[in-house]
Amino acid sequence: MFEIVMTKLINGFAVTLELFALTLLFAIPLGLIICFGSMSKFKPLKAIVKIFVWVIRGTPLMLQLIVFFYGPGLIGNWAAAQASANPIIEWLATWKVMDRMVSVVIMFSINYACYFSEIYRGGIESIPRGQYEACQVLGMTKTQTFFKVILMQLVKRIVPPMSNEIITLVKDTSLARIISVYEIIWAGQAFIKSNGILWPLLATGLFYLLFNGLLTIVFGRIEKRLDYYHN
Amino acid sequence: MKKILALVLAALMMLSLAACGGNADVDPTTATANGDTTAAADSDLAYIKSKGKMVIGITDYAPMNYPDENGAWTGFDTEFAEAVCAKLGVTPEFFVLADWDAKTNELNAKTIDCVWNGMTITDDLKDGMDISDPYVINAQVIVCKADDAEKYATVESIKDATIAVEGGSAAEKLVAELGYTNVTPVTAQSDTLLEVKSGAADVAVIDITMAKAMTGEGTSYADFTYTASLSEEEYGIGFRKGSDACTEVNKIMAELMADGTLDALAEKYELTLVK
Repeated sequence: MFEIVMTKLINGFAVTLELFALTLLFAIPLGLIICFGSMSKFKPLKAIVKIFVWVIRGTPLMLQLIVFFYGPGLIGNWAAAQASANPIIEWLATWKVMDRMVSVVIMFSINYACYFSEIYRGGIESIPRGQYEACQVLGMTKTQTFFKVILMQLVKRIVPPMSNEIITLVKDTSLARIISVYEIIWAGQAFIKSNGILWPLLATGLFYLLFNGLLTIVFGRIEKRLDYYHN
Repeated sequence: MKKILALVLAALMMLSLAACGGNADVDPTTATANGDTTAAADSDLAYIKSKGKMVIGITDYAPMNYPDENGAWTGFDTEFAEAVCAKLGVTPEFFVLADWDAKTNELNAKTIDCVWNGMTITDDLKDGMDISDPYVINAQVIVCKADDAEKYATVESIKDATIAVEGGSAAEKLVAELGYTNVTPVTAQSDTLLEVKSGAADVAVIDITMAKAMTGEGTSYADFTYTASLSEEEYGIGFRKGSDACTEVNKIMAELMADGTLDALAEKYELTLVK
């Protein structure tokens, strides 16, 4: 029994890790783009991005996952049932549900990118204005200023809030089970239904705990490495 | 002071133990009183009639037998049994079986006269008791869009379709036993229908009670229907081996089926009658 449970849990945890890694991979750069958008001097763009971030941060991720996965299929069905020659309706009729994992990764990436963007913005705005002025005096372009002067300071400042968010992400992956992405909580819960035993579900907690312990150590190391003023 | 307190507590404990023992005794005594063996000569039916009551073995099992808000028994089988007893001219007495597996022994010991509790008819059970005609079916059925009903009319037809089932359900087991691999377990039975509606799955396999309640005209899945069943269970009433009460109840059951009494009950409790 123990072996059966552990095999299922490990398989489930592989999906959890896959979702976690892919989300980070896409959300970290996407967050920077959203961040630039929300700090843009072009007012309409800034407004759109701000509203987008508000919606994404203001609604539950579980809701977003359900809507994003089932929504296209339901809209497609509805449009197909309409007897209309409208090209938009016809285009909508071609909408279909995506692969579950793809859908979940996209939604997680967008959701986390919005949170990351705000962390980045806080980091960027905490850099004293004087540095920008100094760069200007030295004749550096805006791009040069950002990548050569600001970015590394930014990284240092955002590590603690980012580590917080990333640890939350590890646990949030469990929401994916709502659209049948079989991560570790699903695997653990299956044993309650089929065998009436609770301990596999409790055991999933150990997986999260160990992995988050590892992340904490990694982030601690990164912080130390970046603490160049005190070395 | 402490000593007095200890004494009082000890006395209380003894009292409460005695009270427990007392309660536990109540049920078996009434049960043995019912199991009066003198009257039965040959006819089990005559024996039941001579007592003026039929002791019906049940468990708390919704929607068949369960207590209502006042604690009185209700449910499909409760009302069904009451209707049959009225025709037999006896009063029903419901006796809760502490151990469902002991039902055959209880029948033989005459502590109960019949087992009437959504009992699935199996060949094993038939060895130990006489079972009435089946009256209610429970089945795992294929649910699909009405437009696809012809395409997914048989169990074989869903072999290559994407099948949504509830994780850990009877349906999931059945589909696995058939060797169908294109299966998506979801978190709840009702979610399987959303899977089909959105096109994430082609068909769902759920039990007939739910399929009836959630598909067809006037439901949120009006353009859905259900087709073939993957498994079928039939419910029957168990009597003592060789009992003539079984034949009599079969007769009454046929009458209740014909006059629509059972149809009304089946509708009330959302069950499916054997036709």
